[in-house]
Amino acid sequence: MRYGMVIDLKRCVGCQACTVACKSENGNGPGIMYTKVLDQVSGEYPNVRKNFVPVLCNHCKNAPCQRVCPTGATYKREDGLVLVDHDKCMGCRACYVACPYNNRIYLKRGKIKVGYYGKEMTPYEEVKYAEHQDGIVEKCKFCSHRIDEGLTETSCVQTCPADARIFGDLDDSESKVSRLIRSRGGRQPLCEDDTDPSIYYLD
Amino acid sequence: MKQSEMVAQKDYWAKSACKMCIHTCAIRAHVVDGVVVKIEGDPDNPGNRGKLCPKGQAGINRLYDPHRVKTPLKRTNPEKGVGVDPKWVPISWEEALSTTAEKLKAIREDDPRKLLVSINDFHRIHIWGWGSAFGSPHYFSTVGQYCGAAYHPTNGILDGAFAAINDYDHCKYWIQIGAGDGFSAHLHLASSIKRMADARVDRGMKLVVVEPRMSAGAAKADEWIATRPGTDRAFVLGMVYTMLYELNVYDAGFMRKHTNGIHLIQKDGNLLRNPENNKAMVWDTATDQARDFDAEMDVQDMALEGSYQVNGKECRPAFQVIKDSLVDHTPERMSEICSVSAETIRRIAKEYSDAACIGSNITLDGKEYPYRPAAVNYYRGAIGHVDGGLDALAMKLVNLVVGNIDVPGGHLGVGLNHQQLIIEEGEDGMMKPQPHLLHPPGNFSAKPDSFQMIEWYPIGIDPGHLCSSNIMDPEHFGYDYQPEALIIEHSNPMWNLSQTPKVKEVFKKLKFIVAIDIVLNESSDWADIVLPDLSYLESDLLICIESPMVTGYFYRRPVIKPLYDGRDATDILSDLAERIGFLPNWNGLLNFTCFLAPEYHLEPDKVYSNLELTDRMAKSIYGPDQGLEWFQEHGHATRLMRPDELYMSAAQKGLRIPIYFNFIKEVGEDLDKKMKAAGREWDTSSYLPVPVWRDSHPLHNVDPEYDMYAFAFKEAQSNFSESTTMPWIEEVISCQPIHLGVMINGKTAQAKGIKTGDVLKIESPFGEVKGLARVTEEVHPECIAISNTISRWSRHPVGKQRISTHFNQLLPSDVKWTDGMTGHLETATRVKLSVIAE
Amino acid sequence: MGISIPLVEKEFVAGFRQQKEWAGLIASAFFFGKVGSGLFIMSVFLPSRLGMLVGLLIVLVGKGGAHFLYLGRPWRFWRGMARPQSSWIARGIWAMGLMMVAGFAALSLPVGSSLYMPLTIFAVICAFVVAVYDGFLLTSSPAIPIWNTALMPVMCMFYSFLGGTTMVLFMTHMGFMELSEKFTAILPNLELGLLVANLLIVILFLIGSINTGSAGRESFDLLVKGPYAVPFFSLAIGVGLVFTLLMSIYAGPHASAGTVALITVADLIGHYFIFFLLLKVGVFKPVLGFLKI
Repeated sequence: MRYGMVIDLKRCVGCQACTVACKSENGNGPGIMYTKVLDQVSGEYPNVRKNFVPVLCNHCKNAPCQRVCPTGATYKREDGLVLVDHDKCMGCRACYVACPYNNRIYLKRGKIKVGYYGKEMTPYEEVKYAEHQDGIVEKCKFCSHRIDEGLTETSCVQTCPADARIFGDLDDSESKVSRLIRSRGGRQPLCEDDTDPSIYYLD
Repeated sequence: MKQSEMVAQKDYWAKSACKMCIHTCAIRAHVVDGVVVKIEGDPDNPGNRGKLCPKGQAGINRLYDPHRVKTPLKRTNPEKGVGVDPKWVPISWEEALSTTAEKLKAIREDDPRKLLVSINDFHRIHIWGWGSAFGSPHYFSTVGQYCGAAYHPTNGILDGAFAAINDYDHCKYWIQIGAGDGFSAHLHLASSIKRMADARVDRGMKLVVVEPRMSAGAAKADEWIATRPGTDRAFVLGMVYTMLYELNVYDAGFMRKHTNGIHLIQKDGNLLRNPENNKAMVWDTATDQARDFDAEMDVQDMALEGSYQVNGKECRPAFQVIKDSLVDHTPERMSEICSVSAETIRRIAKEYSDAACIGSNITLDGKEYPYRPAAVNYYRGAIGHVDGGLDALAMKLVNLVVGNIDVPGGHLGVGLNHQQLIIEEGEDGMMKPQPHLLHPPGNFSAKPDSFQMIEWYPIGIDPGHLCSSNIMDPEHFGYDYQPEALIIEHSNPMWNLSQTPKVKEVFKKLKFIVAIDIVLNESSDWADIVLPDLSYLESDLLICIESPMVTGYFYRRPVIKPLYDGRDATDILSDLAERIGFLPNWNGLLNFTCFLAPEYHLEPDKVYSNLELTDRMAKSIYGPDQGLEWFQEHGHATRLMRPDELYMSAAQKGLRIPIYFNFIKEVGEDLDKKMKAAGREWDTSSYLPVPVWRDSHPLHNVDPEYDMYAFAFKEAQSNFSESTTMPWIEEVISCQPIHLGVMINGKTAQAKGIKTGDVLKIESPFGEVKGLARVTEEVHPECIAISNTISRWSRHPVGKQRISTHFNQLLPSDVKWTDGMTGHLETATRVKLSVIAE
Repeated sequence: MGISIPLVEKEFVAGFRQQKEWAGLIASAFFFGKVGSGLFIMSVFLPSRLGMLVGLLIVLVGKGGAHFLYLGRPWRFWRGMARPQSSWIARGIWAMGLMMVAGFAALSLPVGSSLYMPLTIFAVICAFVVAVYDGFLLTSSPAIPIWNTALMPVMCMFYSFLGGTTMVLFMTHMGFMELSEKFTAILPNLELGLLVANLLIVILFLIGSINTGSAGRESFDLLVKGPYAVPFFSLAIGVGLVFTLLMSIYAGPHASAGTVALITVADLIGHYFIFFLLLKVGVFKPVLGFLKI
């Protein structure tokens, strides 16, 4: 069992529904985005090419963030998810600089006490920010809480209007993700770093 | 589940309908301990199938916006102006309603036309007519500028549709002109993105996007073709020329069988009619004579081309007239106009007509339909111009030529609501033109009554942008009264109308402004009384708007108890109608706008609650067993449309659709006659039966010192600038380069010495704004492109820019810049740029 | 089609991104760790119990304090010892902790105590680890190519020795330390030699970093051409290495106390800034390197 995600760059239209759905699902405060969609533009008018590239934690098999974590807060689950135990993290940010994908986010002390409108929190913020700790490092969890509830999709996958994100078991050769990687030639980002990420891009 | 039972639970998912744009995706909200913690697309709905765009996700932001209006408010600062603190104080509903009713009642007794009306809630089209029930003819706002005054009437005239879309399920060659369908806006975005992605990736559909800026759609397209703003008609007419004159490819069978291309047209452009019975005539090649259109003859024998003498009159089949009208629309000439090379125009015309598979058929659900998997889809960018009606007709023509209207793979009409396409029998075996699906037309009068002059735009949609010019210069067209009050519901005329300084002057004149909304905006910042509406997550509504491929009502239900002391806008307006004294008119209007069956008609003197109204509406449409309770139990009544609903609606009733728009010509001639009789000078030259390019277009004849074109755009995060006051949306767009300033092409910027980050002064002939330069390759070198996300200046603290670049300030607001046929404002303009700071 | 990769801040644009988390306090911790452990090691050989004590205190208060201030959850610092098998931070915490225990224990014993030597030697080994582990820590981060070079630990070691030597010179000239004649003669030359060596290593490091791929090149450009070039050439190289080198040559072995104080301050400034700037110019590789659009 190894959860992974296939991101179809042909399908993605850069609408950022995933970015916002992720914030909503995880109750992420100002500036905290576990995922987002980057523009990649090249060429000169009129021969311009523009790609939309969703990025998020790659849940690497050989995760540098886990290797450098001194506390063991970052750990790997049997199902391939790389997670952070918020109670163990001391906020040294070694994982932040070790992540080749720049997908770890440090929550400054006091961060979760300030919402989008300042210290007065909305009812939503009061409920959701309480699920976080400050002074530690967070990142995309592949919606582990949803998986643990038996759901088959992360929040970003659930909402993606283009179906550009597909979630599934990379170890199952007949899963949709595996079939797509085979048929479309899925590529892992920065695979030269030997991290063996669980995200594959189709271009 | 009953509402009270549902909200009594500790942890539940409530199904409802989204309102973060004008359309409706089905949603479900997760509520824990009374707090909405997540909104997702409803996975069971055949429309959006669980998908939801970023605005829909961010609905939580709007619900819990601390700047929501929580109680009725009264202004205590008599001074009004941009940035002026109104010094609101909370007041009781009774005080708010009685104060408002008293002011409006006095106006109504004096002259109801002194009330300006800006009721714009697209989800509650049934309340738009509140002003007319009051007695005010005004429409002091604009929707036409943002969707399509030139779009909707022409859809209705072609096939009884309100909107249109290419067939997501079968199209294989999709040309998209000035539209966001499938990528960033329009017609149920989340479901459209999904259908478009399936078509592009799973079915390998080729996509060509034509527009001056590289939008999300252009980025995903197989080919991006950049045009000058306001010249897309030239591009498609160049294509039509290529098909008719060079490739000789067109669907003659379709034209003979399903269009008026066979009707004989006289030299003056009017139909040849049998003097005996006034019937339109066609040329029968079997007998070589003109015959009544409904005479017994083989369709194959109906002439499409040629020139004939009938009773001494020279006449030609309509198709021949179209062809002749376009004889000088060579790709070379069109290329000069639209800046796309003649070679590209020819190539696209070839690819398009090849892909159309003219002559082929497809069987769906056991029934055979013509199969035309190539189509041109378009929207506001293509038609939001002077001569926009002709733009829209040209877009229709390029589709008609390959016979793809309302057939699998082609260009499909989309209905406004559950009635789908309105197909009624008209004259000459034709479908009756339906330009007025939103409300009945304004009746002509020698002196316009409404400030938007709807009396003089017989097939237009309220050109609300004209109001400010007419109010500030009443003598020009002879208005003998001045407005005194304004009612706003879910609208923002201060922001959405053009030539903002003039709109501000109008606001300054008004003695009383009442606003109904959930958050304040540029307009309601000027109100005297504010009445809090319920948010979409707190209110009930049946809603069905322009959904492609899907039909039936979505049920918006309150997912939680209302947070504050708000009331449903429908209830507020009913209450006001009673207090002011026109309840019978209002209830009579609701009978019509809520589709109430006679047995559910409202009693004239009784106030009905929104819930009661919703229940009656449901029962009227779905029968006595399917009232509000049914919807509470079962949720939405939406379903996929059947092929026989999607395709060939007019043909199924044996009716033809126009390819030659004589209806438009006749309306124009009628208007011209009335205007002359009234002693008015009025330009009706755009009421043409065939779309042609007209060099008189004011946009392309501006003083050359205004050397650049300028236009505004929107993307998926911000179909409405309203979204920018939601923090999640604001956060995302503040990271996206296209929303970080005024887009200017790299080479142009270099030539003008402009760098990213420079502060620009942007001057049009009508106004000026400042903007931060953002140098990019994603825009036509003759244009600047301005995102709608950098336009806000209300007192709401979220979404403010360091430099607000409000594009509408650059636009005109007068008749010269308004499309004569449809009332569409010219939405592009010309500007000159200068750097004022680095 | 070629692709020019931009350096981006918060915009949603694919490109190089600078790391933003490790900066002033981490640079301070590295600085105090190296200077303190260098001084401790030198002092053991001199020997100078005062030097050892000052070295230990610099590491404990300076490095420990900087880390403590830096950590998001400082009172969880002890959790950082959990994974020495893979984490250089964990190893660093162990080394620092053991250095403190052994160092202070040795100092608390009378001279000649049988445990003194073993404890001291153990403390020196730990101090050596403290001096160089941050080099390995940076090297172990594959994400930031300019850090990920074999020269990094070597540079750390030499800077530690240089810092220690400078501190000893300073303390001697200020009269806090008595040196044997042998050392008095050697020290200025040692200082000179280390300055030359550090300069060479920095040059080698820079040359090497040009070839660490596009992101490394971006870091290099930021350091020598971009916004960090001025502090780099003036403070890290100019003040820290060239000025100190010239002053040391000019002043010779019999420099006045004032001159030595000046050299010491200059050396420490250079020492702080070179690592501070190297942290600042840390640039991640673009995520989709393979995407050539």
